[in-house]
Amino acid sequence: MSEMILQTKGLGKRFGHFAANAEIDFAVHAGELRAVIGPNGAGKTTFFNLLSGITLPSDGTIIYKGGDISTAGGPARVRLGIAKAFQTANIYSDQTVGQNVRLAALARVQGSFALQVFRRSGRLGKVDEIAERALDRVELGELVHTRAGDLSHGDKKRLDIAIALATEPQILLLDEPVAGMSIDESRRTEQLIKKLAAEMTVLIIEHDMEMIMGISDSITVLHQGRVLANGTPAEIRASKTVQDAYLGGHSESEIA
Amino acid sequence: MRRGGDLAFYLWTAVGLILFPFIFRLPIFNGYSGLGTQILIVGIGAIGFNLLLGYAGQLSYGHAAFFGLGAYGAGLSVLKLFPQAHSFGLAVLFGVGVAVVAAFIIGSLVVRLYGIYFALVTVAFAQMVYFIIFQWRSLTNGDDGLQSIGTPPLNFGFAHVDLTQTLPALALGPFGDLGEIKLWYIFAAVTAFLVLAFVRTLVRSQFGEVLDAIRENEERSIFVGFDPRRYKLAAFVISGALCGLSGTLRALYDGSTAIDMLTVEQSGAFVIYTVVGGVGTLFGPLVGTGVIMWLENIVSAKTGAWRLIEGLIFVAVIVFLPNGIIGSFLKKAKFDLFATFRGKK
Repeated sequence: MSEMILQTKGLGKRFGHFAANAEIDFAVHAGELRAVIGPNGAGKTTFFNLLSGITLPSDGTIIYKGGDISTAGGPARVRLGIAKAFQTANIYSDQTVGQNVRLAALARVQGSFALQVFRRSGRLGKVDEIAERALDRVELGELVHTRAGDLSHGDKKRLDIAIALATEPQILLLDEPVAGMSIDESRRTEQLIKKLAAEMTVLIIEHDMEMIMGISDSITVLHQGRVLANGTPAEIRASKTVQDAYLGGHSESEIA
Repeated sequence: MRRGGDLAFYLWTAVGLILFPFIFRLPIFNGYSGLGTQILIVGIGAIGFNLLLGYAGQLSYGHAAFFGLGAYGAGLSVLKLFPQAHSFGLAVLFGVGVAVVAAFIIGSLVVRLYGIYFALVTVAFAQMVYFIIFQWRSLTNGDDGLQSIGTPPLNFGFAHVDLTQTLPALALGPFGDLGEIKLWYIFAAVTAFLVLAFVRTLVRSQFGEVLDAIRENEERSIFVGFDPRRYKLAAFVISGALCGLSGTLRALYDGSTAIDMLTVEQSGAFVIYTVVGGVGTLFGPLVGTGVIMWLENIVSAKTGAWRLIEGLIFVAVIVFLPNGIIGSFLKKAKFDLFATFRGKK
């Protein structure tokens, strides 16, 4: 298989005496669609926060394309190609849909800081090009002039994904992308995720087991902050350990 | 985007600044000649303060530090550092330079703070600056302030212009007399014009666009790849520089500095001017400075209760015109003052 794009070794995060993540050894291949599942409180979001740089690890290392990025901050990781869509749509509510993605594209083009106090960003044609492409991919192109705060819940979450896409990522972290969506919206989002997975590495946290089993190349199960199991959807479904710990001894069909 | 909008801005701003001292002299306004100049000079500081509050979304309660350091920097430049040169330009350069260095140091330490913590730590730093200047009597004369700075001539190379000279006498009826207007006014008006044009360009620039984004949603801004601390530090330094310029010109206009320029009251004055005029609006801080300084001039001649009245005006504006004078005209609630106190978004 292809090279490892992202790895963690002995990764841990403690909050006081509580270990939210401990000894996580994790590796994902470039181009893979990997799901991270586990019961509430398993440490999934903490793990994503460590990967995206929202929090820094207490132990262990994160290696991206062979380089140690454990202490790199959020902006640096985005520039390296790790982007994130948030559990609760994290958008610029007072700005238009178009401006939301433009800002992300601007960050990609100009870098994390530029003292451009005289020049307008409108002069940077590439920004509009990237922004437009990102919006088209999530099918929000028609709503470009709508105020982002006025979008439906599903559209807000897809706009959040579009913002992440406009940073031109190589790894996309999706934290519960279909949570709270209508059946129709989640189906559209599922299609979108499949499409994106063909172009980049996607890591996804999701509780919708049916969807996860359907789209993932492989699954990592977290339990009490540790890796419980790794495997293909079929392996995870069949795993006795996973069923005991996560599925509470019931078969997957019972909890679904 | 529209070039026409740019032209209208430059034209109307210029017309306003040219007419201001004459309208101001109408008997109903009862302003004294010179107050217009002072309003523009102090207003530049308020514009700088508003860059931080209105656009970066951070309420500093210590901007008197930069105003005062600008003033003392200019004064010391004329009196002690370069007494031979007696140079207006050097005084401005040195005054603004001191303010910029201080803004960079203080800014680096406070950009990670939010809301009330940001305000409190800026007050603390401003108080430190106040006590240093106050106690360093050999250099600063303590509570006597620096005296006899005068106004060095403005050197254009081909000509030395004394800003304390007046325009030729010409009676203008109810608008007073042209001869009451000093060249200082023209200098202050040109400077204010340039500062307004600069801030207008800045807030519409790529930098301003990102600053806006960071104010609205800092977390998302980090995770599209911007570094908010560097943006806020840059805004803090530019803001401090404009306050420094304001203090510098004030010292050169008055020919002296006063320790009052470094007090919490002075920091509070920038807050009041800006909130009264309109936070996050281009002209708001200047208009607020004008209204409050003009009222202070009228009211304090009649009663000693100016501070009480000023406080009441402040409260009235917050209750009845929460977007300030200009903000209410624009009918565009661009910014919620109290959001800065709710802390990190």
